Amino acid sequence: MELGQLNTDTIAAIATAPGRGGVGIVRVSGPKAKTIANDMLGFVPKARYAHYCPFKDENQQTLDEGLALYFEGPNSFTGEDVLELQGHGGPVVLDFILKRVCELGARTARPGEFSERAFLNDKMDLTQAEAIADLIDSASEQAARCAVRSLQGAFSKRVHELVESLIQLRIYVEAAIDFPEEEIDFLSDGKVEADLRSVMANLASVMQEANQGTLLREGMNVVIAGRPNAGKSSLLNALSGRDTAIVTHIAGTTRDVLREHIHIDGMPLHIIDTAGLRDTPDEVESIGIERAWNEIEQADRVLLMVDGTETTSTEPHDIWPEFVDRLPHPERITVIRNKADLTGEPSGFMQGQTSTVISISAKDGVGVQTLREHLKTVMGFDAASEGGFIARRRHIDALNQAKTFLDNGLDQLLGASAGELLAEDLRMAQNALNEITGEFTSDDLLGKIFGSFCIGK
Amino acid sequence: MDFPKRYDVIVVGGGHAGTEACLAAARMGCKTLLLTHSIETVGVMSCNPAIGGIGKSHLVKEIDAFDGAMARATDKGGIQFRTLNSRKGPAVRATRAQADRALYKAAIRDIVENQPNLEFFQQACDDLIVEGDTVKGVVTQAGIRIYADSVVLTTGTFLGGVIHIGLDNYQGGRAGDPPSNALSQRLRELPFNVGRLKTGTPARIDARSVDFSVMQRQPGDDVTPVMSFMGSQADHPEQIDCFITHTNERTHEIIRGGLDRSPMYSGVIEGVGPRYCPSIEDKVMRFADKTSHQIFVEPEGLSTHELYPNGISTSLPFDVQVALIHSMKGFENAHITRPGYAIEYDYFNPQDLKHSLETKFMNGLFFAGQINGTTGYEEAGAQGLLAGTNAALRSMEKDAWYPRRDEAYLGVLVDDLITMGTNEPYRMFTSRAEYRLILREDNADLRLTEKGRELGLVGEERWAAFCEKREAIEREAQRLKSTWIQAGSAESKELETLVKTPLTREYSLMDLLKRPEIEYKDLAHLKGEAVADPQVAEQVQIAAKYEGYIARQLEEIEQMRRYENTKLPKELDYTKVGGLSNEIVQKLSTLQPETLGTASRIQGVTPAALSQLLIYLKKHHSVQKQSA
Repeated sequence: MELGQLNTDTIAAIATAPGRGGVGIVRVSGPKAKTIANDMLGFVPKARYAHYCPFKDENQQTLDEGLALYFEGPNSFTGEDVLELQGHGGPVVLDFILKRVCELGARTARPGEFSERAFLNDKMDLTQAEAIADLIDSASEQAARCAVRSLQGAFSKRVHELVESLIQLRIYVEAAIDFPEEEIDFLSDGKVEADLRSVMANLASVMQEANQGTLLREGMNVVIAGRPNAGKSSLLNALSGRDTAIVTHIAGTTRDVLREHIHIDGMPLHIIDTAGLRDTPDEVESIGIERAWNEIEQADRVLLMVDGTETTSTEPHDIWPEFVDRLPHPERITVIRNKADLTGEPSGFMQGQTSTVISISAKDGVGVQTLREHLKTVMGFDAASEGGFIARRRHIDALNQAKTFLDNGLDQLLGASAGELLAEDLRMAQNALNEITGEFTSDDLLGKIFGSFCIGK
Repeated sequence: MDFPKRYDVIVVGGGHAGTEACLAAARMGCKTLLLTHSIETVGVMSCNPAIGGIGKSHLVKEIDAFDGAMARATDKGGIQFRTLNSRKGPAVRATRAQADRALYKAAIRDIVENQPNLEFFQQACDDLIVEGDTVKGVVTQAGIRIYADSVVLTTGTFLGGVIHIGLDNYQGGRAGDPPSNALSQRLRELPFNVGRLKTGTPARIDARSVDFSVMQRQPGDDVTPVMSFMGSQADHPEQIDCFITHTNERTHEIIRGGLDRSPMYSGVIEGVGPRYCPSIEDKVMRFADKTSHQIFVEPEGLSTHELYPNGISTSLPFDVQVALIHSMKGFENAHITRPGYAIEYDYFNPQDLKHSLETKFMNGLFFAGQINGTTGYEEAGAQGLLAGTNAALRSMEKDAWYPRRDEAYLGVLVDDLITMGTNEPYRMFTSRAEYRLILREDNADLRLTEKGRELGLVGEERWAAFCEKREAIEREAQRLKSTWIQAGSAESKELETLVKTPLTREYSLMDLLKRPEIEYKDLAHLKGEAVADPQVAEQVQIAAKYEGYIARQLEEIEQMRRYENTKLPKELDYTKVGGLSNEIVQKLSTLQPETLGTASRIQGVTPAALSQLLIYLKKHHSVQKQSA
């Protein structure tokens, strides 16, 4: 058989480089490209002609307007039917379009997958194959890093709790099916329904959080931490360009956690400035300090500020050992040496042993641009083909799919008392979530069953 | 000394794997020899006197779909039949039968003795005749050399078998039979990866010493299910009841008191036992908070008083066995007829096999049953059927055949063994099958009989019955699709007693059958005549109820099938495929998956790695084309 025919599903991705550009393109390839065009545009564009039209969501509201191009296979880049939607760019709008395309039956493409299909369909010659293999290699490695990165902090904990509760439910359902003589017929009592509803409620709240944007719209959490008077509030002001924190020279002035939403080239960033961390008899101040610690422990990135006039060190542990020891993820530290205007250090990246080190002057804004670029890279919004943004999109797709299966499963349980169909929907829901948490096989499940129940006829 | 004849296929071992293997090869027209150390024990049930159960009856019916023996023998020997999961939907329903050991064995012996092309010879097998990396035959205990194109080994627990009762142990293949030590020694010299497994069996009890009046009675189903597609209730002998009793705190105390003399807990046994069939000492230790376990008291047959107390398999010393049995309700005065024991035996890592069950290291040598790390009569029989079939195909110089995961539980079984291996005795469960809604026991014939016919496994009688059934299903489905019920009609009124809301428009009978609250028997007679054959009615109903789910699974299968059809050449050098991690290169090189589908199921093989393989294959392919 022809290897190109191995792909029967439809893939989609944002084809333009991440960041705020003039044009943003979502590309769709596969057998469903035509019906997706029809659903989003109201018509199938004439092949190889540009049409200016609105891109619609499921309520016929316009998501964006732009050019739609349609290429019929085999006369396309991939050799399959291809739809290209060229809109106004901007990550949030592009993400909406990609989300809609996925709802209509596409899935987010793996890194290098368009090129792979092009090659398998004889759209590229042999000399290009090597490059594709390299692309898949490097891009999938990066995607894996991004996926891990997008799963840090509180959200990750919630997803893992969700998956764990689903596994617990499956243990009961599968045990009842495979071991009916073991006095464990849970399908007939109310436990399974109650547990299923609780998994569904759990999923709904995770999805709400994800869609509210802590995950996607607002980007990642960055904490600015440091000893009193290191210049944290000044840096926050420098990054955001507004005077939100009271900046004084008296230690302890910034008493509460301050939040600031900023955009770097259209990429959302959620910055938290913490109160100066120190032991204090002041009750109000110590509440602020406790809240600060919560934020720090959940942060995606910690900017550890140090007053450059007080130490020459670039090592987090030398700068503030008791702080670094308390961090669950010390590898997420970037050291910011402030007050370059006073120390005379050259601004920008410095050599560090275990962490990235950047020298700046928060007061003058010197070195702040370097820091912005650094944050972009850390977020996965660099020029590479896949960033954390897409990784997160995949996670949300997975949650959506899981929801559909759980809804079906509840219908089967209530409408038809069909335990085996509920089991099938739970299996599919878990398959969807495997995208986020890694594989969970039937063997893993059996292991959990044998650990939970005494099976043994 | 050479045997006077040569064979196409030799099968070593006359257990459940061995009998299905030699029958399959003989049905396909190959001159076949069954070599066993004892013709009297062909078809013996060494452990519990039961066939079927969840996941297992699925395998039995698959064997039956290929015209194998196990289901027919069960119908002849079954003294209690039940449908498990009867209220949980057809995909997970399973037939289970208590079998009379003597009747079952006699039925198997009858089938084996009357199979054309099949001969027996009674001698232990001590050695293989090997030329290069190809097996050419076997050498028996008396030094007789028998030549054949293919050899199937079904050695059960006999390879290096050691029996444990308390701290005493002795060499044995089964209580009362010698082990196969010479063959075990010989196989250990070949490059197979050998390991040790453990299984156990309970003491047997004389029914005349048991007080059944204090036990819970467990009768068979009122409407007795039948195991074989070709069977009927008329095949069944007299039906009798089973009983249930329980262990109690006193029993558990006795067990804990005897642990210092348990071979399991004192470290004498190195083999790993199954987690789902633990010994009673394991249950008491691992689930310490459970104060009672249920014990099924199963009769061993109509012509014997022996009982099988299912759930107290043990290797504790005999005095502890006596005390723990006497502590249970109804067993206070029980007389033990045979002690329980644990047995350790050799198995070979099934990852060294091809899907055809031919070994990768030695051409023409096939393994089936416990030698591959499985447990259970049904798992053994299914593998025997597959190994026998492929041994025959090899002898006929035809390509090997095996079912995929979406075609049969047999496909799941073999694929699991070959891609994952196993480190405890492997048993089938329905949760192992991702296409569980399609792989039902009720449709095993529809899934497999046509293929069986093509392979030469299925005889005239079954083929004719099958074709008739398949046509009847199609006819009835068409009738329901084209028969319409008008809103407000008399027929619609009759149905409205079942559905919550009145029909508002015209519906076909098939549409109505898809509703969860309506069954075939409610509507088939409304216009026209319902079919008489319950198997036909069942198929029509299940297809309607599962329609949406089956369509989704078929789509999933279609995706997967393309991978399954893409072969990975044996000479493929994985170190030359760019972009694969060292771990993946090593796994693929060791396991040498036959297809991209198998590769995709090896743990740790990522979608990106599959892409790399695809691209490499494509490049390779083009290079070949250019140079041709």
